[in-house]
Amino acid sequence: MNRISTIFDWLGGAVVMAFRAFRMLPEAPRIMKRTIEQALHGGYLSLPIVSILSFFIGAVLALQAGYALQDFGAKQLIGTLVGEALVRELGPVFVAILVAGRVASAVTAELASMRVYQEVDALVTMNIPPERFLVLPRLLAALCYMPVLTMIGIIIGWIGGAVVCNYVDFIGIAPAEYFQSVKQYLTTTKLLHGLIKAEIFGFVVILIACNTGLRTRGGPREIGFAVTDSVVYSLMAILSLDFFITKALGG
Amino acid sequence: MNQAQMNIRVGVFFIIGIALLWITFQALHEGKFNAKDGYEIIAPFQSVRELKSGNEVRMAGVPVGTVKAVRLANGRAEAVLSIKKDITLARDTVATIATSGLIGSNYIALEFGSAASGNLAPGDSLRTREVPDFNKMMSDLGDLGTDIKAAVAKIGSAFGDNPDGSPGLISNLNSVVSENRAGLASTIGNLNEITTKIRAGEGTLAKLINDPAAYDQLLAAVTEIKNAATEAKNFIGETQSIIADVKSGRGAVGALIYDETTAQNLKIAVKNITDITNKMNNDESSFGQLITSDALVRDAKATLRKVDRAMDGFADSGPITAVGVLANGLF
Repeated sequence: MNRISTIFDWLGGAVVMAFRAFRMLPEAPRIMKRTIEQALHGGYLSLPIVSILSFFIGAVLALQAGYALQDFGAKQLIGTLVGEALVRELGPVFVAILVAGRVASAVTAELASMRVYQEVDALVTMNIPPERFLVLPRLLAALCYMPVLTMIGIIIGWIGGAVVCNYVDFIGIAPAEYFQSVKQYLTTTKLLHGLIKAEIFGFVVILIACNTGLRTRGGPREIGFAVTDSVVYSLMAILSLDFFITKALGG
Repeated sequence: MNQAQMNIRVGVFFIIGIALLWITFQALHEGKFNAKDGYEIIAPFQSVRELKSGNEVRMAGVPVGTVKAVRLANGRAEAVLSIKKDITLARDTVATIATSGLIGSNYIALEFGSAASGNLAPGDSLRTREVPDFNKMMSDLGDLGTDIKAAVAKIGSAFGDNPDGSPGLISNLNSVVSENRAGLASTIGNLNEITTKIRAGEGTLAKLINDPAAYDQLLAAVTEIKNAATEAKNFIGETQSIIADVKSGRGAVGALIYDETTAQNLKIAVKNITDITNKMNNDESSFGQLITSDALVRDAKATLRKVDRAMDGFADSGPITAVGVLANGLF
C-alpha cells in the first residue's frame, strides 16, 4: 500500500512539475542562456557518441540482414530493412537510451546534489521557482535537440549500413542501389512518426531525471541512488512507452 | 568555454540537424511535399490492388510522378496521380498497374499516347487497362486443377464398369475380343500369309514393293503423266487467253461476237449481195442480159468483124491519104 502510494506520489509529482514548468513558458527569454547551455551539453556534446553508436547499429543491422536475407535471395531488401528499422525504431530508441545514460544521469546528479546541499531551498527562498530555473531549460533544450540528434543518428546509421553493404564480400551492394532501396518504402510519414517518438522519449527522460533529482532526500549516498533510479526509470519508460506510441501512431 | 563559443556550437548543431531533416524529407518521394510541383490526373481502376500513395508513376520506365492518393469514387477505385509539370500526357495514354519484381512495390505504368489526340488537362481521367491479378491467376489455376481432376476421374470411371452394373469400356473391349477370338486369329493369320507372300515377291503388290523395275516404270509413267498435264495446262492457259481476248472484243472473232455494228454491217452486206445476185439472175438488167442473152455476143462478134475489115482498109490507104492531106494543106 505504501509502495503504491509512493509510485502515484512520484508520478503525480512529475506531472505537476511538468505543468508548473510549462506555465513559466512566457518567461522563456529569461532562461535562454541556460537553455542554450543545456542544448550544448545534451545535443552538441552527444554527437560523437550518437554518431559512433548509430554507425555501428546500422552496420550490424546490415550485416545481420545480409546473413538472414541471403537464404531467401532477397539481399536487395537490406537497404529497406536497415532504413525502416532505423527510422521506425532503432534511431529514436537508441538516441533516447543514450540521452538517458549520458544526459539524464548528469541532470539527476546535478539536481540531486543541489537538493541535498539545499541550493534548491535557497532558490525557493529567493522566490526563484526551481521549475523555471532548473527544469524548464532542460526540457526545452531536450525538445529541441532530440529530433536533430535522432535525425543525425538515423542518417549515420544508414551510412553504416551502406559501408557494410559495399565492403562485405558476400553482400556486395553498391551504395547507390542501397540508398535506392532505403528510399523505396520509406515515407515522410514514417520519418515524422520516428521523430515524434524521439521527441516524446526526450521529454519523458528529462522529466524523469529532473523529478528524481529534485525528490532526493538525504546525503551523498542518496545522490548515487537517485542517478541509478533515474536511468532505470528512464529505460523502463522508453521501452514501455515505445510500444504504446508505436501502436497509437499506427506505423 | 565562453558564451559566444557555446552559442556557435549549438547553432552549428541545429543547422546541421535541420539541414539533414530537410534533405531527407526532400529525398523521400511522397505526394505531400512534391504536390506543388505537379498536376493531378485521375486513373480509375476496377481494383488498385497493392497500390499505395507514394508509389511511382513511370512512363516507359522513366519516373514522371507519384501516386498521391488512392480512394473509392463512383463505385470503383481511383488513383490520384501527381504528374511532374514539365511532362505532358496525350489524351489516349493508357495506365496499368505494374509490379517491380516478385515482391517489389507496385507502380503505375503509362504507355505513350499519340500526340494527335491532344493533351490531358489537370483533373482529367486517364484511360486504364486492367491486368490479371496474380491472386486471380492462382485461383484460376486452382479451378483448372479441379477440372483436370474431374476429367481424369471421368476417364478412370469410363474404363471401369458403370455404377449401374452395365459393363464399362474395358469390359466391352474384353468381351469383344473374347467373342471374336477365332475370327481375329484367322484374320491375323491371313494377314501373316499376305505379308509372307509379299516378302517372297509373289503378286502385284509384292512386285510393286520389291521389284525396282516396276518402280522405275511407275516413275516414268508418272513423269509422262506429269508432262502431259503440263502441256494440257499450257494449252488451257492459251485457250483461256484467247477466250479472254475474244471476250474483251479484241480480234476479228471478238469483234464479230461482241461488236453490234459489225453484225449490222454484215447483215447489210449480205442483203446487198442477195440483191445483186437477184438482179444478175434477172434478164431485164444489162448485166443479166450480158450473162444470159447470146444476142449481145453475136452483135459483138459482127461488130468486131467490121472493125477488122475497116482496119484492113485503113492499112492500105493510110500512107496515101496522109500524103494527100499534106499536099492539100500546102497547096
